[in-house]
Amino acid sequence: MNNVLDNTRKLLRRGSFIGFIVFLIILVSFILLSKGYFIQHTNLKVLITQIAEFSIVSLGVGLLMIAQEFDLSIPGTMLFCSLVFLYLHNSGVTPALIVVIVLIVGLLIGLLNAMLTIKGRIPSFISTLATLLLWTGVTNMFSPPGTKRSIIIKDPLLVGFFVGDVFGVPVQFLWFLFFAVVLGLLLHHHVFGSWVYATGGNKDAARAMGINTDLVKIACFMIVGFLSAFSAIIQVIRAGAFLVGIGSAWNLKAITACVMGGVSLFGGYGDVFGIIIGSITLSIIENGLIMMGVSYLLSWAVYGALLLMFVIAHSHIRRRMKILS
Amino acid sequence: MVQPLVEMIDIHKWFGGVHALKGVNFSVGRNEVVGLVGDNGAGKSTLIKILSGYYRPDRGKIIFEGREVQFKSPADARKIGIETVYQDQALCPNLNVAQNIFLGRERIKKLGFLDKSKMFVESARLLEKLGLSFKNLDMPVEFLSGGEKQCVAIARSLYFKSKLVIMDEPTSALSLRESQKVLDFIMKLKESGVSVIVISHNLYHVFPVADRIVVLSKGKKIADLSKEKVDIEEVAKLIISS
Repeated sequence: MNNVLDNTRKLLRRGSFIGFIVFLIILVSFILLSKGYFIQHTNLKVLITQIAEFSIVSLGVGLLMIAQEFDLSIPGTMLFCSLVFLYLHNSGVTPALIVVIVLIVGLLIGLLNAMLTIKGRIPSFISTLATLLLWTGVTNMFSPPGTKRSIIIKDPLLVGFFVGDVFGVPVQFLWFLFFAVVLGLLLHHHVFGSWVYATGGNKDAARAMGINTDLVKIACFMIVGFLSAFSAIIQVIRAGAFLVGIGSAWNLKAITACVMGGVSLFGGYGDVFGIIIGSITLSIIENGLIMMGVSYLLSWAVYGALLLMFVIAHSHIRRRMKILS
Repeated sequence: MVQPLVEMIDIHKWFGGVHALKGVNFSVGRNEVVGLVGDNGAGKSTLIKILSGYYRPDRGKIIFEGREVQFKSPADARKIGIETVYQDQALCPNLNVAQNIFLGRERIKKLGFLDKSKMFVESARLLEKLGLSFKNLDMPVEFLSGGEKQCVAIARSLYFKSKLVIMDEPTSALSLRESQKVLDFIMKLKESGVSVIVISHNLYHVFPVADRIVVLSKGKKIADLSKEKVDIEEVAKLIISS
């Protein structure tokens, strides 16, 4: 009897477990409510593409949250990276070089966020809010109304590499799987991952034991920047245009997705499986909302409500666990 | 005269205009437990922070095992075998016992991948050797009691073969039973050949385990007595009267 209780407790402590249950409930109900349309080929393909493009970013956000930091600048990063891509493409730069440059821009933006937060000693919530405004503003400045927004991507390699099809599966999804595996290995099986958990759990203890928590956080911020740039590249190539609303609300959505997957807002807790489950669930909910014709503005309220519900649920469970042990 | 493990000679420390340590001479012998006592502001924490590499002395020197040493950081001190066990600051609550024991010193395989089974097995072995049993080694340590947490921190210093373990108020936040566990543990450390410095406000905790009592007051050492030669009331009077 004791063993069953212990195992249940252990399972419940994994925040991602609850996220997984919710995912199953949402999936089944949506399939039933949409009378099967949900899993129709066309909708499924769109959904998988959306899941992939969004989850690539939320993987980074989750990693950063475990290290106890936030990045609100993601929409601004994606806007600016799109602009850089557009500019380089119209200037005739070779595609491979464009990709490399845009990814480096993403890394540098992440580095800036890290420096402002760590060296500037500003809470990341504030510093990345500032950079969000910065990059959004800069992008608007360099692309006033009337700027040519659409581009024709002719390069087959670019298309095939980022938005093509592999036996009916969108390449974006394969990229998502790739990053999920890499980050999963990094977080759960590599020493860097233990440093991330240690930094997020008790930064002072980690430092006292010789872990360079500053470097850990810098790396996490740069990973978020890199993944945001990567997702932006995918979306620009897919749309063949500069999307004014690229990454819109993704800063809030990614945090919500991670919390739904069991990542703690206070750092130190979370796993890659949970981040993936949370991202998929949120994307499914969004897909459903669109199908139901729910206004875009109302979806913000939905994310807020979900965030609140899950935060309350998780903290309640953790408190119960503490009392029980 | 057997050479002491560590000698701090004529240590001075200023914080701005405040002369926190005024020429303190402090030594710890091999296999010795020293109780460092004194009222608030006496300089106990400052002295051991210098010894553990957190601060640098403004004047004076430290001699460890016969050689003069200078620490640039706590990592330097840890490298030669001086470990500090802090209250509450030493453990990551979200990590389990094995992860905390190997915090910052993780056992890795090729390319930096963790050797989790090795760390788990060695932690279990260490805890068994020390007579400690936790219900579940896999649980985050935040679910352990205060005394159990302290024991994990102490077990960590034992594993990494420290020669000197410094404990700053190890029993302050603990219940009577848990404090006894920690004190038993300190005796185990001594039996393993480790020297210990225990800072505490609680003379009743320090006395049973200490071989020698050193009293600091306002940055100066005012007493350095072996336990047999003095009793608790005398020491208490010394602290209060100064």
